[in-house]
Amino acid sequence: MRRETQNILLVLLGGALLKLALTGTYLRYVKESLQPWLVVTGATMVVLAVVAIVRDLRGGQEHHGGHEHGSSRSPWMLILPVFAVFLISPPALGADTVNRSDRNAAQEANASNGFAALPSDEVVPLSIGEFVTRTAWDDSGSLNDRTVKLTGFVVRKDGDVFVARLTISCCAADASPVKAKMVGQDFAALPTDQWVEATGRVVPGSATKDTAFVPTFTVSQVVPIATPEDTYEG
Amino acid sequence: MLLVLALVLQDWLVGVLNVPVLRTASTVFVAVCVQALPFLVLGVLISGAIAAFIPASALRRALPKKTALAVPVAGVAGVALPGCECASVPVSRRLMQQGVPPAVALTFLLAAPAVNPIVLVSTAVAFPNAPMMVPARFVGALLTAVVMGWLWTRFGKSEWIAERALRRLPDNDGTSRWVVFAETARHDLVDAGGFLVLGGVFAAAFNVLVPQAWLETLGGQVVLAIVVLSLLAVVLALCSEADAFVAASMSALPLLPRLVFLVVGPAVDVKLIALQAGAFGKSFAARFAPATFVVAIASALAAGAVFL
Repeated sequence: MRRETQNILLVLLGGALLKLALTGTYLRYVKESLQPWLVVTGATMVVLAVVAIVRDLRGGQEHHGGHEHGSSRSPWMLILPVFAVFLISPPALGADTVNRSDRNAAQEANASNGFAALPSDEVVPLSIGEFVTRTAWDDSGSLNDRTVKLTGFVVRKDGDVFVARLTISCCAADASPVKAKMVGQDFAALPTDQWVEATGRVVPGSATKDTAFVPTFTVSQVVPIATPEDTYEG
Repeated sequence: MLLVLALVLQDWLVGVLNVPVLRTASTVFVAVCVQALPFLVLGVLISGAIAAFIPASALRRALPKKTALAVPVAGVAGVALPGCECASVPVSRRLMQQGVPPAVALTFLLAAPAVNPIVLVSTAVAFPNAPMMVPARFVGALLTAVVMGWLWTRFGKSEWIAERALRRLPDNDGTSRWVVFAETARHDLVDAGGFLVLGGVFAAAFNVLVPQAWLETLGGQVVLAIVVLSLLAVVLALCSEADAFVAASMSALPLLPRLVFLVVGPAVDVKLIALQAGAFGKSFAARFAPATFVVAIASALAAGAVFL
């Protein structure tokens, strides 16, 4: 591959990273904390390519021994992420990923740390991860008879309807699902992957080994909402 | 021209990718690339800095003369590179080009991604109920790296390594050090970047093709669990800073197979094999990766026997 082509690819790839980082779309793929690193990385790539381009323009035909590539074609692969980011812009993971696994990632998470008291508000907003952890591991039954609000997307499997989120610890490749089974209403009108706020109460003792620690959630009200910017739970 | 074609094809592409499996795979692919590129850039910048500012003679003086002694030194030196495996491939290739014996550079390659403080802290955070996981992982990974270094000293042949990986840079030929720095970093980035993307393609494919349900059926069968988790570590190609959280979420399994997962992953995975084939040649990767796989499992079991 020619040196000029390599430099153009580097500029495009650096530009793709900058685009992701500056428009906020990076949140579909990685955690928020990576943003400054993406900016630095994208900028570094562009600078390295521009320095090489400027030197080539100034230096004319002067070449560096030991830097020639011969027949190496591997740099062409760099075009794939560029295309993926600019043309396809893949969405955040959703129902398809949740249905690839039966595990419910929140189990055991903070089991040994004890549970803080819930706020005394009438409706308590909870992350699905905490909701699952509390129903599965909090023996004091702190959620029983409490009305909670969960935010997540709709997932269907084997005739059941779930409200789910994915948790990531580094990037979308390590995503693990957390979910609760919704009952008490007709959810047929909600398309799969639709984001909702579901208000209701847990069925006490429903998250056991037999249900793979997926709690049952009796929903009194479910409202479709717009997809949030960061779809993952931390 | 290429871009015009791409724009014309965009609608068609987006349509094809509207299948859930492909959509998931493309998201995972971009995620792997986006997550790994900062570390790869860190690695090529270090590699450029070594080429430009550290004379080969200084490196040789810093290491013990006997390779057998230099190998463990290189393993412990891995603590100082706070990144994941993508950063360590260009750095160790640069070390080889600066005249560091291959066995020593390869030990550094294997140790750096697994024994640095960031990885150890994230392991501790992921396993709050099993603090011994941290020393077990540290020892298992270090043992893997050192044993592989010694094996290479004893059995390795330098002709397995592609000639381009061993070619010395010409000593200071009058070009400014900053030019050497920028040129080396750019060259390594273009070179390794392509292979990283290739590894990302494989990781994304396996991510959607390997049925996660395997894990739930393993239960108490420890031997089977060790085999399956070591293979999973290879095909999933998780970043060494994230794999502890994935291992922690497999709570149906005993700790030992999960330790194997954590020791094998940073040493051998599809992304790393692609990077190694790019940096050191196919005939190197075809020998080094399987040997590392076996040594890593054995080291993890040994460390597990002591600590868990």
